[in-house]
Amino acid sequence: MELLAELNSPVMYLICGGIILFVSVICIVFAVRAYRAGRQLGIDESKMKRVITASTTFAVLPSIGILLGVIALSGSLGTPWPWLRLSVIGALHYETQVAEAASEAAGIGGLSIANMTPEAFATIAFLMSLCIMWGMVLVIFNGEAYSRRLVSPSHPEKGGKKKKSGMSGFGDTAMTAMFIGLVSAYIASYIGTIVSGNGMFSFQGSWLPLAVAVTSAAAMGVFIYIKNRTGADWVDSFSVAGSMLTAMAAAIFFGRLIG
Amino acid sequence: MENRTAREYYENYLKTTHRLGRILTASVLILLLAAPYVIGIYLKAMPNIPAVLKAFLGVGIVYLVSGIVEYLIYVPMLGAGGSYLAFITGNLINMKIPCAINARDIVGVKSGTPENEIIATLSIATSSLVTIIVLALGVLLMIPLQPVLQSPALQPAFENVVPALFGAMACKYYRADRKAALIVLTVMTLLFVFVPSLIGSTSMMVIPSGALAIGLSYLSFRKKQKTSEGGNEA
Repeated sequence: MELLAELNSPVMYLICGGIILFVSVICIVFAVRAYRAGRQLGIDESKMKRVITASTTFAVLPSIGILLGVIALSGSLGTPWPWLRLSVIGALHYETQVAEAASEAAGIGGLSIANMTPEAFATIAFLMSLCIMWGMVLVIFNGEAYSRRLVSPSHPEKGGKKKKSGMSGFGDTAMTAMFIGLVSAYIASYIGTIVSGNGMFSFQGSWLPLAVAVTSAAAMGVFIYIKNRTGADWVDSFSVAGSMLTAMAAAIFFGRLIG
Repeated sequence: MENRTAREYYENYLKTTHRLGRILTASVLILLLAAPYVIGIYLKAMPNIPAVLKAFLGVGIVYLVSGIVEYLIYVPMLGAGGSYLAFITGNLINMKIPCAINARDIVGVKSGTPENEIIATLSIATSSLVTIIVLALGVLLMIPLQPVLQSPALQPAFENVVPALFGAMACKYYRADRKAALIVLTVMTLLFVFVPSLIGSTSMMVIPSGALAIGLSYLSFRKKQKTSEGGNEA
């Protein structure tokens, strides 16, 4: 418990909070530059404001979910380190798995404050940083070359000629398809969990994630219907967050049904 | 602004975005790798490198592969500024990517255009700041809020944020290509049903699922293109 007090000490908050503050400044710098550039390029300011509103409402609920990840990890790693990891670079799905593997390799069995040592903590912290840095490494060394290779229809001199036929216009379709693939993988995993999650064709797995996803999809359908009927663009800004909130509220009800 | 001037301005914007992005991403990377050592000095214990290497061979390789795939797939969606920010702030699949695509759809911009670059950067920066603020407030209020947030009654809601997100997105995107969606969902469901061990690696299964969806969309895209070419010739 003495170690947990050290992991929650002001020094730890200072180290982790300092990095988070630095990242916040980076976000503000990029946002201000983009907004100014948008204005210069003639992008409608009301569109940019809608993007900011929509992204704000969109991000609130997942952020609360991420906060719960911080709470979940704070029992074994203290609060400041999970706070840093989940504010910057990390993802809820990854952190626990990596921390668990590092705990085993550090010889403390599993992720638990009861067996935690200062060396094990430093090892876990370093592995968490090391495992999930590849996107950053690639974007540093290859980001410019890679993104410049992508075709911009507004800039034919940048490669539009060779894309005149065949792949032209497929970029957006591919992005939508990629998203269909992403969503399908997760929804299929929820169905797979029900059918074979607790033994092949046992139908004993939790149906809660699928029920939540279906509820959210139904709520989204209602938002789309309202938008199509009324033509109110503002509905778009709140449709995803609203659907999620409806489904999450339903999850509480479903949870009670399961008991 | 005239077309030529706008183009020059945008090229210059991209150039400085990349320069700034590289410097700031490298700075954050150094800070993140140095932090365990700084904490180690405070705790009087350094990371055990053999243990780090052992664990890296176990789980790190998976993240190395998924990091490369994420980079290849998401950079085209996010543009230059959005990519630097998204890889610095993380939470790509569960927040940044859906958020950027949602923003892009709301204002109706196309991939690879200057508009997409600006909108994606604004969207990622805003959502990152929201997360940072929510987490900072949450950490600040953690003690009084903990009983409410951790109350058993609310747990089903917060444990199902991701299904709630993907349900909403499914409704939105399945409408764009119902046939591809149905095929991909069926194939992936059969995979998970017959190989249940894959359920624990869903994030990796996004790769074949995405590849299948892109393949199907390409076939349908080519078919439509041929039909329209045939129509034009006639």
